[in-house]
Amino acid sequence: MGLGWYITRRVGWAVIVTFIIVTVTWALITAAPNPAVRQAATQAALDGGNPSAAAERVRELRGLNAPLHQRYIDYMVNVYTLDWGWSTMRSQPVTEAMLSALYYTVQYSVPWTLFTILLAPAVGLYSAANQYSWKDHLATGFAFFGYAIPNFFFGIMLLLLFGVYLEWIPITYNSDVPVFSLENARQLIVPVFVLVTGSIGGTMRVARNESAEFISADFVKTANAKGVSKLRVYARHILRPTMVPLSTTIVGQLLALFIGASLLVEIVFGIPGLGRLTFRAIIAQDTNLVLGSTLFFTFIATIGNLIQDLVYTVLDPRISFEDR
Amino acid sequence: MTQPPLLSVDGLTTTFNTDAGLLTAVDDVSFDIAEGETLCLVGESGSGKTVASESITRLIDSPPGETGGAVRYRGRDLTEMSESELRSLRGDNITHIFQNPQDALNHCYTVGWQIVEAIQMHEDVSDDAARERAVDLLNEVGIANAAARFDDYPHEFSGGQKQRVMIAMALVTNPDLLIADEPTTALDVTVQAQILRLLNRLQDEYGLGILFVTHDLGVVAEIADRVVVMYAGKVMEHGSVYDIFEQPSHPYTRALMECLPGGERASGGIPGTLPDPVDPPDGCRFAPRCDHAVSECHTGEQPAEAEVSDSHCASCVYYQPGYDAGTILGPDTGSGSASEEVTND
Repeated sequence: MGLGWYITRRVGWAVIVTFIIVTVTWALITAAPNPAVRQAATQAALDGGNPSAAAERVRELRGLNAPLHQRYIDYMVNVYTLDWGWSTMRSQPVTEAMLSALYYTVQYSVPWTLFTILLAPAVGLYSAANQYSWKDHLATGFAFFGYAIPNFFFGIMLLLLFGVYLEWIPITYNSDVPVFSLENARQLIVPVFVLVTGSIGGTMRVARNESAEFISADFVKTANAKGVSKLRVYARHILRPTMVPLSTTIVGQLLALFIGASLLVEIVFGIPGLGRLTFRAIIAQDTNLVLGSTLFFTFIATIGNLIQDLVYTVLDPRISFEDR
Repeated sequence: MTQPPLLSVDGLTTTFNTDAGLLTAVDDVSFDIAEGETLCLVGESGSGKTVASESITRLIDSPPGETGGAVRYRGRDLTEMSESELRSLRGDNITHIFQNPQDALNHCYTVGWQIVEAIQMHEDVSDDAARERAVDLLNEVGIANAAARFDDYPHEFSGGQKQRVMIAMALVTNPDLLIADEPTTALDVTVQAQILRLLNRLQDEYGLGILFVTHDLGVVAEIADRVVVMYAGKVMEHGSVYDIFEQPSHPYTRALMECLPGGERASGGIPGTLPDPVDPPDGCRFAPRCDHAVSECHTGEQPAEAEVSDSHCASCVYYQPGYDAGTILGPDTGSGSASEEVTND
């Protein structure tokens, strides 16, 4: 049984995982009192009507009087058919609201992810190759700085410096500019930079430590003894094994930042992306929209872990995909 | 003009900058290897033999390592070559096998890929041609079903098989000199014998000069033409394998021989430990552990190499004028039994 079967099973497991997560969210929502029902009851009481009759009416309207298993099946079908309900805040379907927000999130997430994947291992390798020299200390210092400084604070400071004092970049985000344009690059360069410094720090440290281990490995000595050029030794014989443990960290780091830091960065820079949408939905108590973005991030996390597992087996042939 | 030797090592010195100070791992070591000859570099762990073998093609990282002296390959000085000149020699004319086959192959690539890399680093051959050559050589070193195993990863091979792969990789460019650093130490005894036989056969076939680093005198007896005995970075004695085994002349060599099974030191070993390489003792490096050491042995430099017989030299004061080598050798030459009676110091 080969890689294909392994991938099939892994994807199957990912589907089961999302199934379990969605079930748990449904159970939590069902167990919690429904704000709409309570609101209707309060309103009826204030208007001098019958609170329990009003509550019953709303329940009926929302299908809450159906038997539990019926409600569960409806909910699951809706989730998997992407019928995620109506957003009261945006007055549009949740999926539509999220899709339009995703459009802006992708614009900075893609360059951010690419830069992290390309730069972090390279900086780590550079640092390991020059271990304990000033070059290493400089790269390490940069990594620690990016890792330690809160993203939103760093973003505000850079915005202040380059936007307000130097006026190199626009202070307010303009969502009307075309995706591939100089203006868009100018307004996204600082948020991307902030996010990359945040994600590169931890990843670069792992890359440095792992490749430092491989630099003194016997197989690198073998490669040197074969007459392999320095650059090729680094790229092929050191970077490649380093990518195995690194792929775990990169996915984890990106996911953590994607869910947490991107929200803050979007608010700081005024990008109307998913993070800001979620934030506003929470403030406005738009339950459907909050639930929608929670599900979205859940799927992202599951897919991220799935990709990581697959990348792992492709990168390290010693990891067997037979009995998993 | 006389033909220069295949490899001539002259005054090789390798030092490392450590926190404790300048560590001299290899100190003024000289030897020659002729075409098709097997030279064994013998010594206990920490004697500097591995560092010496890796200093030849400058595999030692610098810093912290620093290599001095001259290393001539067919008359060309490797120590004065540029990194790229040296690289074209490494893996092509001079190849290496290392001690631990478990880690010597990169676990991310198939063994075939790694052998093909060795070929294509030095020759402009197509992937198919390189593959064919690699499979041929895998066959020759005794990998069963080589064509199928070409695409296997190192972790799918046993230790002995990995070492065979390493040998194949070291021979695939048809080198003149193979530097084998304890290639059998990490293997069990039966596999060890197979690998040695394989090396012997391939040496005849390819006319290979071999520098064989080992601490195992049994292995030395089996494969060596000539032997260099090292201790604490210095050459103690060198000569043909017959000289060394029939008339071990330096007290250190004699002590080593007595450590062999059945010898009188077989259970106890040589008392004492290797000297501190950062701060080696004055005089002969072995003097603090030597049964025969006299006061001269503790002052000045390592005694100059003195000829014991033709092409057999020992670095010991007893072979210099005014001393009686018989004190070491004993009346019954070769048995070493007399060493008990003479207990100086």
